[in-house]
Amino acid sequence: MRAIEPWVEGPLTTFLTESSARLVLLMTSAGQVIAQHGFTRSLDVMAAAALGAGIVASTGELAKLLGPSPFGALVHQGTNQAVFLAPFTTPRGRWIGLVVYGKETSLGLIQLFFNRMVEDLSQSAPVEHARRAVLAENFEHELNASLRALFGR
Amino acid sequence: MSLVNFAAREITCKLVYYGPGRSGKTSNLQYIHGRVPEARRGRMVSLATESDRTLFFDFLPLELGTISGFTTRFQLYTVPGQVYYNATRRLVLQGADGVVFVADSQARRFDDNLESFQNLQENLLEQGIDVRSLPTVLQYNKQDLPAELVLTPADLEDALNFRSVPSFSADALHGSGVFETLKALSALVLKRLAAGNSGESV
Repeated sequence: MRAIEPWVEGPLTTFLTESSARLVLLMTSAGQVIAQHGFTRSLDVMAAAALGAGIVASTGELAKLLGPSPFGALVHQGTNQAVFLAPFTTPRGRWIGLVVYGKETSLGLIQLFFNRMVEDLSQSAPVEHARRAVLAENFEHELNASLRALFGR
Repeated sequence: MSLVNFAAREITCKLVYYGPGRSGKTSNLQYIHGRVPEARRGRMVSLATESDRTLFFDFLPLELGTISGFTTRFQLYTVPGQVYYNATRRLVLQGADGVVFVADSQARRFDDNLESFQNLQENLLEQGIDVRSLPTVLQYNKQDLPAELVLTPADLEDALNFRSVPSFSADALHGSGVFETLKALSALVLKRLAAGNSGESV
């Protein structure tokens, strides 16, 4: 598992243990990765997050067009595994959970333990969040070197 | 909004390529995808129609390397340029840290450029973002076409660049100007992050 802050790890670990999910990805509504379990390559995680956020955003807009109630979770049922996708609110803003699960568990259990994880995350989130300096003032030469290396020029 | 992970010392920024249909947004990403070593990029995801027009977005994750001790990643997105797809454009624009506006230099696309640029400002405003505060770079694409078909960069500057943001002539199909455009926007986005005007720390 890889979580970007320690407070996310506890609720996510509990969810994984109880739900028997295979893969889990927590992301912001803009598709930025917050935490993940089961993916092996960070750049693939980013693609999964972008697609998951896109699905939630587009179905959310569809719900606005169709009626007063927003959609809850989305489930894509496959032959060997299924994808559960749900937006939720945290003290840090609106996040999205993407869960891949197989026949070793069920949609009901995933939904149940996902809701518990959302509650746990709300309770675990630190209240205060101080802004810290990020980049040194002279970062540009490093940026230029990185881009030159990236493009081979 | 950039995501800054202090624990793992990682920065992730979202850059969006915007512009009218067929101006070359996807071509920019395809060129970048083709030039960057595989270890430094993810799979390019394209949600396109059967005729290869962007339906939702193209997505390309890039790993720049380490900058000021932070592993820095960029997520490059394109929007669908066709007027019809404004709802999806708005969605892709959410959380953008910077925008490349890819203008089509062909004279016959002049009005399309203006309409798309206006649309960008409207969609940003709808999200409470003033275009003046968002790092933006202009790219005048297709400058390789015969001179009688295209407007000069100076003409396009007059029409679009009233904020005097960085601008570049380009031929995205063959790569001219693509690197320069990305470099300029990267610098603007990271400068803004360094100044503390953007970024969600976790």
